Amino acid sequence: MKYLDKTIEEIHASLKKKEIKPIDLVEEAFTRIEEDKELNAYITLNKEEAIKRAQELEAKEVGDNLLFGLPIAVKDNILTKDLRTTCASHILDNFIPIYNATVVEKINENDMIIIGKTNMDEFAMGSSSRTSYFGAPKNPWNKEKISGGSSGGSATTISAREVLFALGTDTGGSIRQPASYTGIVGMKPTYGRVSRYGIVAFASSLDQVGPMTKNVYENALLLNVIAGPDDKDLTSANKEKEDFTRKIGKDIKGMKIALPNYFMSDIVTEEIRNEVEKTKKLLEENGATVDYVDMKYLDKAVTLYQIIAMGEASSNLARFDGIRYGYSTDNPKDIEDLYLETRKNGFGKEVKRRIMVGSYLLSGENAKIYYNKALSIRDDMKKEFDRIFKDYDLIIGPTTTTTAYDLTDPMDDPSKSFMDDVLVIPVNMAGLPGLSLPIGFGKNHMPIGLHIIGNSFEEATIYQLASFLEKKLNLELNPRKDDENV
Amino acid sequence: MSNYIPTVGIEVHCELKTNTKIFSNSINGYGQMANSLTNVVDLGYPGTLPTLNKEVLNLAIKAALVLNCKIRRQMHFDRKNYFYPDNPKNYQITQAETPIGYDGYVEIEVNGKKKKIEIEEMHIEEDTCKSTHRGTKTLLDFNRAGVPLIEIVTKPCMESGEEAKLYLEKLRELLFYSDVSDCKIEEGSMRADANVSIRKKESDPFGTKAEIKNIGSISNVKLSIDKEIERQANLYDNGETFLPQTRRFDSKLNDTVLMRVKETGNDYRYFPEPDIPYVYVTEEQIDEVRKTIPMLPEERRKKYIELGISEVNAKKLVGHRTLSDYLNELLEEKIDFKTAANLLLGDISAYLNKNETEITKTKLTKEKFMELTNNISDGTLTSKNLKEILDMVMESDKSIAEIVKEAGIQNITDNSAITDMIKKIINENPESVADYKAGKDRAIKYLMGQVMKESKGSINPSMAMDILKEELK
Repeated sequence: MKYLDKTIEEIHASLKKKEIKPIDLVEEAFTRIEEDKELNAYITLNKEEAIKRAQELEAKEVGDNLLFGLPIAVKDNILTKDLRTTCASHILDNFIPIYNATVVEKINENDMIIIGKTNMDEFAMGSSSRTSYFGAPKNPWNKEKISGGSSGGSATTISAREVLFALGTDTGGSIRQPASYTGIVGMKPTYGRVSRYGIVAFASSLDQVGPMTKNVYENALLLNVIAGPDDKDLTSANKEKEDFTRKIGKDIKGMKIALPNYFMSDIVTEEIRNEVEKTKKLLEENGATVDYVDMKYLDKAVTLYQIIAMGEASSNLARFDGIRYGYSTDNPKDIEDLYLETRKNGFGKEVKRRIMVGSYLLSGENAKIYYNKALSIRDDMKKEFDRIFKDYDLIIGPTTTTTAYDLTDPMDDPSKSFMDDVLVIPVNMAGLPGLSLPIGFGKNHMPIGLHIIGNSFEEATIYQLASFLEKKLNLELNPRKDDENV
Repeated sequence: MSNYIPTVGIEVHCELKTNTKIFSNSINGYGQMANSLTNVVDLGYPGTLPTLNKEVLNLAIKAALVLNCKIRRQMHFDRKNYFYPDNPKNYQITQAETPIGYDGYVEIEVNGKKKKIEIEEMHIEEDTCKSTHRGTKTLLDFNRAGVPLIEIVTKPCMESGEEAKLYLEKLRELLFYSDVSDCKIEEGSMRADANVSIRKKESDPFGTKAEIKNIGSISNVKLSIDKEIERQANLYDNGETFLPQTRRFDSKLNDTVLMRVKETGNDYRYFPEPDIPYVYVTEEQIDEVRKTIPMLPEERRKKYIELGISEVNAKKLVGHRTLSDYLNELLEEKIDFKTAANLLLGDISAYLNKNETEITKTKLTKEKFMELTNNISDGTLTSKNLKEILDMVMESDKSIAEIVKEAGIQNITDNSAITDMIKKIINENPESVADYKAGKDRAIKYLMGQVMKESKGSINPSMAMDILKEELK
């Protein structure tokens, strides 16, 4: 049994020929998750239900759906009916949703099997998944290291080849940064591409669901499933259905690529800059042009992000008050006491910090001074990206400034976690699609990711470049194989 | 009490008459089992997002039009953040920065003089859930959560409880007649808060403000404002001051009671609602909505008076929406509107009240009503006849002619027969005849009564009166 290391085409063929059944994949997934228990990728496993579902699917025709019967992991801030959804927080650790997020409905309609709910930073607030109430997940390449965050559990389970597919969410890099740290492919689609209905909101104007997979093709396939307009989400874009795999395999000759100087400045370690430089050369050798460009506002993104994300979060998280769902303090004296005790005990330190800062930022005249001002600079930043995309098809740069750091690194500097995402946050600010692709390893053999940014709704072009590089680089990205080799 | 100039501003919350809620597809209904009209969106369940009911926008545009407001073409929603158990998300979606309507007015008549009550702004927002306190427990009913509201805020431009009352009556009439809201204060679909302050001179700054919350009726708004003016005046007269405060009207005490003192301004941490994109209103949309506005009360009254209906009856008709709507469909017809109004407000209203029904639910078609009106006005039918056949008129499909025939009504329309009858009465009542001739007007009424009695009500009274007068000469 090593189905889960195979490509999707191979698995699909075996399923179609009835050499294997969905239950074999499900069982293998749970065996691996069990073996890798210390990776702590999951908060809740959906074992019974997944097995039941696999058995039900046996009666169904496999057909041409490449995703049929395949296990998928879902980040724990995405609502799954009858399956506990905690947001890695004490305040929701008993929360069993009564409805499915739109993306979950789509997964079910496509006969995929939900294996479990993945670990994350509490309410997606963090960049190392260490703010999780359930402890941090570990990096499959080195268990002393973080897997990044906030979608750290989804990144871990893909990297460790426990399942083929995972969903993450990305508010300020939370798909791409852990993807880079764990050597997988993670895509944050254009804001509005995927419905946010049923995603526990962190920062509504930035949140976006995206696919996390071991390779580019599988990533595009999963985006095919989850993308599309949704009447339940007014911010979802009314775009016609498209096949995100359609440009995969196409030549990149003549493609024009921009590489902002800021992304290659000394905020990034030398080994990462070197890998990006090598990639630049490879692209040029293959007929693409890669130009260094100056871009305004990139260095302002983190500040804008802090204002917008914390402001929105302080309001979004107000609903967790112990009245209607989730954790509630015992025997409160009065309503004030219920609010205070529930929220004091229910939320972790980082979440409380962000709620407090966010509340301050929106307080009185501050909303005008900070939030509204940030929104207006954000528009300028979007215009700056628009300017670049007049001349270029794509923008590239490193995804992260360093490779994954130690789980034991101090957490006492609250701005550090934001700086981990300095290169990926501008994309959320501008609502653009961005993908992280593994392009090599650092000196400690920790993965390095390339960040590919597209113009709005140009995910297919991102996949085109990513798949080209993936094929050219042909890296061994399975840490299990790596273990065997060592 | 010295003389002070009171300043009053009114805020009205009005529930819009939509089928579904503003941000979800739950039914917008009243009086249903608690929490039966709710879904995950209304409950502020994690992961839920608002959708926007188009009906709400159209009704708000309509309200803005009838309140003479300017209409914003590009607007957004804002979040008003505060913790309260009746507020499921602990923020309310409202329009703080870009209210849909602004700079409007409602015209009232105070002591015979017209006055424009200026409307500062009118915005759309969601209602909260309803909380009921039972001992130490509070029960929450989310049926009301997410019901669409418009909030209408006047400038501080009224000077008395009476003006506030007239404004609210006018406002209610306008919103009710334009089908924006059913405006039932007792069901909470219209709620008023009043801001009251007083000062010595026009040139003085506004005095300290007290807000009176959720007053249960329009007459209590007047009463509570007058009481509050008096209270503030007494304090100032005694050299006392007070802090800005929120009060409520206690209908048992017939006075306002302190709820809380406002120490600092509330901090609602408003910011643009990121879940709802900008909303754009087009000229076409406004024109479409304008077409759906029925004839408004003021115009109706004017029209009725033009058509010969008395001022009193014109007012009464407008106060009775279904009758007014019924009559409005006949405005182009050539009928005696005075008689038509009398009929509607008299026997027909009595019938409708007795049977607890509405005119549109009876068999009184427009044709039948016109036939009836004509018969009464030309004397073919008497009011006594009408009383006899009214049930049939309202309940059967038959025409008036058929009903009259079946009821065997044979009115004496032959002049000579009437003259004979009158001669007989004159002969039988010489004293009354003498009284009449001596100038006692009352005597003729007596004689007329005798004529009607003799004829069993089957003659046309005005015709009989003419003959009687002639015979008495």
